[in-house]
Amino acid sequence: MSRLLALSLRRDPRVQKLPPYLSFLCVLVGLVWLLLLPLDDYARKTYISENALLPGQVHTYFSGSESHVLRAYRSELEVLASEEDQTRVNDKIEEILKGLGVKVGRQSYTYNAAGRAHNGENVYGILQAPRGDATEAIVLVAAIRGLNGQVNRNGVALALTLARYFKRWSLWSKDIIIVFPPDSETGTQAWVDAYHDAHDPRNVAPLPLKSGALQGALALDYPGVDRFSALQIIYDGVNGQLPNLDLVNSVGNIASGQMGITGFIQGMRHHKGTYKHRLTTIFRGMVKQSLGNSWGPHSSFMPYHVDAVTLQPYGKGFHDEMAMGRVIEGSFRSLNNLLEHLHQSFFFYLLMQRDRFVSIGTYLPSAMLLAANFSIMAIYLWVQSGQVDADAKKNAKKQTKAPATEVAAVTVERSLVLPVAIVAICHALSAVPLYVLNNTTAPLLPTAFAALAAISTAAPFVLSYAVLPVYKPTQQQILLMKSLSLLVLGMALSTLATLNFSLAFVIGVLTAPMSFVGLSKNESLRWASATLLTLLAPATVIYSAVAGAGLDMGHLLEQASFGWTVWGMYTPIVVWTIWWPAWTISMVSVLC
Amino acid sequence: MQSIFAWLLLLATAVAASDYHEQLTLRPLPLSSLLASFNFRSNTSFSDYASQNFRLFPRSLAQILQHSGTRELHLRFTLGRWDAENWGARPWDGTKEGGTGVEMWALVDAGNDEEADQKWLTLTNTLSGLFCASLNFIDETRTIRPVKSFQPEGHHSEAALARSRLLHGVLPHEVVCTENLTPFLKMLPCKGKAGIASLLDGHKLFDASFQSMAIDVRPICAEGKECVLEIEETIDMVLDINRSRRPKGNPIPRPVKAEELICDQSKPYHSENACFPVDHLASPDWHLEQVFGRPMKGTCPLADATVPPVCIQVPDKRHVFTSEGSVQHKGADGQSRCYTMDENNDFTLFLARPDNTGEGLEVVEPETPLLYAERSLTGYGQEKGGVQAILTNPGNEDVEFVYLESLPWFMRIYLHTLATHISPNTTTAVDFSTPSSDIIKEIYYRPALDRVRGTQLELLLNIPAKHTVFLTYDVEKTILRYTEYPPDANRGFDVAASVITTLSPRVMNLRTTSLLLYLPTPDFSMPYNVIIFTSTAIALAFGGLYNIIVRRFVGADEGEPSPLKVKLAQLKEMIAAKLGKKSEASEEKAAVEAQ
Repeated sequence: MSRLLALSLRRDPRVQKLPPYLSFLCVLVGLVWLLLLPLDDYARKTYISENALLPGQVHTYFSGSESHVLRAYRSELEVLASEEDQTRVNDKIEEILKGLGVKVGRQSYTYNAAGRAHNGENVYGILQAPRGDATEAIVLVAAIRGLNGQVNRNGVALALTLARYFKRWSLWSKDIIIVFPPDSETGTQAWVDAYHDAHDPRNVAPLPLKSGALQGALALDYPGVDRFSALQIIYDGVNGQLPNLDLVNSVGNIASGQMGITGFIQGMRHHKGTYKHRLTTIFRGMVKQSLGNSWGPHSSFMPYHVDAVTLQPYGKGFHDEMAMGRVIEGSFRSLNNLLEHLHQSFFFYLLMQRDRFVSIGTYLPSAMLLAANFSIMAIYLWVQSGQVDADAKKNAKKQTKAPATEVAAVTVERSLVLPVAIVAICHALSAVPLYVLNNTTAPLLPTAFAALAAISTAAPFVLSYAVLPVYKPTQQQILLMKSLSLLVLGMALSTLATLNFSLAFVIGVLTAPMSFVGLSKNESLRWASATLLTLLAPATVIYSAVAGAGLDMGHLLEQASFGWTVWGMYTPIVVWTIWWPAWTISMVSVLC
Repeated sequence: MQSIFAWLLLLATAVAASDYHEQLTLRPLPLSSLLASFNFRSNTSFSDYASQNFRLFPRSLAQILQHSGTRELHLRFTLGRWDAENWGARPWDGTKEGGTGVEMWALVDAGNDEEADQKWLTLTNTLSGLFCASLNFIDETRTIRPVKSFQPEGHHSEAALARSRLLHGVLPHEVVCTENLTPFLKMLPCKGKAGIASLLDGHKLFDASFQSMAIDVRPICAEGKECVLEIEETIDMVLDINRSRRPKGNPIPRPVKAEELICDQSKPYHSENACFPVDHLASPDWHLEQVFGRPMKGTCPLADATVPPVCIQVPDKRHVFTSEGSVQHKGADGQSRCYTMDENNDFTLFLARPDNTGEGLEVVEPETPLLYAERSLTGYGQEKGGVQAILTNPGNEDVEFVYLESLPWFMRIYLHTLATHISPNTTTAVDFSTPSSDIIKEIYYRPALDRVRGTQLELLLNIPAKHTVFLTYDVEKTILRYTEYPPDANRGFDVAASVITTLSPRVMNLRTTSLLLYLPTPDFSMPYNVIIFTSTAIALAFGGLYNIIVRRFVGADEGEPSPLKVKLAQLKEMIAAKLGKKSEASEEKAAVEAQ
């Protein structure tokens, strides 16, 4: 009975008209869903899933005369910090570490991105756990140049003092590796790649010393010398990967619970817990995740399934370096307790407050609905393309006098050659901007991008003016082209949503109008759609975003090229391989 | 250094009449460490052994050996790792050390492989009870039969050797603890109550940076004498002096008071508040009771009195003070001093701080080892990986050695990817070396069978002087069955240390650290999900099906009305009647009033 109902429904003209409205509903629900997340009903308080961590249960002893040692180390580094030649700083660090009895290794690397060479030398020490068996290790990273380009004077000094302090304890079950990369962008990437032997031997030297499997990493960015008031926890990784929520929560717990230091995320220092603040935090997190950059030395650890966060003391208050040292001591003691890799808590989450989050099961439907809308429209257009042509239908009706409510059961044969070819060519052409933008030198990048933008925006218009008089594609071909393009877009976005929710969401929102344009033949509506689509072109959006954020276009492009070379950031691939061809085909289908 | 000490013992053996010898050798190492080697040796003649007449040889172990037909047994419990860079060559040339965890190899009397497996099974199970260690987990998946690496150490007749099989098993994840120390001490004649064994305390032993407990049982046939079965128990430990000196009641390494910090006063910023620490350069002084946590209670009366129980190897310039009643015997080379002491009184030894620090004559220079070895996993992800072993020859002679790996079956190695690269030793990070195919001379490879046995790989390698060899091969990880995962499945699985036996220029043993192999884990909540899902489905399906089978269907009008409906109808009638009466009454009233 139900089969018959479905079959008969299939022919019902009202059902035939339903999909665009269904699509629109999906987009709407998807957008509203995200806005509902900050409400208390959907956001959960964070909790520690891994019982072994026991954050904040340990009595920390880092205080007293250790501050004298910290000041001495800081003074030692002050002298050398402003040097251009990194080798002397590294030599001094190596000398101090060797004196402590820590084994030291050095690694040099060179990255060539956008015509510039980024050289550096990492120096790192392995504090072998006295009773350990070298199978596991935890990492403390203190970059010599911090996130804002300032010298990380307190961070490096604190890391050295902690190395000396940790050496006295025999309760470590994992080796402690202390890494001093020269900067916060390239150093850790070279180090982690070489640690897992996944490095490019031409650019990155192998590591002379290794320990066991990495279980967790903490990076410290502490350039100021004044007392601080709060601690920012930066957890975003390359390509939107996030560390296990347990790590973020335990560090936050230790800082705010045991040490009384307020923890905050995403730059929201004064978070009142209101809906607006939560939404802002979510949006900031989503922006960071969708860009896929590395946001600190910790980001490079994520692709290797090593959970890492960067701690950044902030503001002026009354907590001093020893409090920061105790936070790190407490966190390391918690990580030391771990028997297994962190696996209990979430790897996919959106934090809206330091202690409130939503997990993937709650936020994923919004991106999935946005992606589903494309799939629904693709199927709708496919079915439509199989419908008999409108004129032919009228003739047929005159002839057969069939009831008007019944839609013809016969489907027209679809010629797929041209649509498939066009869609394939458009997607394949994306290799061109990718190649150009990754292989041009930095000064030429803005020009190259402007040229690409101009060509890509003008191309549909030019093509339509040039090609249309010669060869007019049939309605079916246009429908098929659109259908295939939306199908690819829907599949790609729904897959991407599981990997990088924010990127899928942002692209879904920016491409959502494409499913609804080109459906009608109304001339003015067509021109309105063309304008709308031009405004939503990848090039336009990027230019306006850059202008809005007050950044420099050349810098952004260089960052994109740098990100691809050094971090393996795939955001440009998504933009040029998924968004841009979809946009182009959409424009073509509107104009033709 | 080790050779001199070994000669001393051998000499003592040849001369002494007693069958039990014990000796403690203390050797301070660079960076405030102390190597303490306890060696206990006793033997019994084969006639005594056969007639179950045990005096100094522990009966518990002997009966196990007899029951399982073991000719030779070597058992090792090791914790920590040996830092060859700072501490030099291993004690006893690495022959008394095992990989992290428990390692055991034995020569069992068996005619064929099945019999050998049977005897090995008996041996491991009984030993696991004796030593409170999970040796019974050494089953056939962890046992290999090494061909080149382990040679019988005792003297066996040709006929006996022909009828023997050597089996080797490793448990890399076994944690060695006090419960393993106690049976060890109980096997000694003085049972840890007198002599050097009284120094052994679980708290200090297991706080050591490296410790290894070894038991070797082997037959020795001296010229012209009856063959004896010798048991040698050895404990090597490397203690960190600073850590050991902390009192038991307050072991927490709190930061010292500011006044007690040893600072470099020549620094420009040196002040009350800033201090560049140089305490690492100062070797502390220590005495025996402090370091071991308890005093040495005299000597063991059963021990051979001519062998001095305590020896210390320090340069001549250092000052050593011992308790009253002890006599010092200086060694021939001026670097070792041995002490005999009063049997009934506690003995203590005090090593004073060196007079001039930093002059390099504080400790006996450690001997450079023949080979440095390091092994690590490469790659990332849950499907593939690789193993890289870095073997360095620091000396001036070519070294030929056997590299043995005993890998679990779920670590599938691809032998065709075995590659060697060689590069000369440099101080900077090595740039990528040249591949070389004439480093591996011979390969003995026994592939793994799923769930039956692991991989056995033995390579005969030759490294030229002052070169480093990188040995790499690819590995694939497998997903195990749901029940084969341990409770801490996300930790990974331990892979045993690889054993290196050098053949030339001299025989020596070396072990790398163990590896942690992270295997992909299934979703362990799936059985729960499947159970509730199928239970729900069956419950829903069952209800409907049961109804259709069992229920009698009748027409709606034929059936009896449901009692509830009947009652409801009656209630309605009652109410309707009452209302009806009321309305009738009101009508009558109205009618009456109208009139």
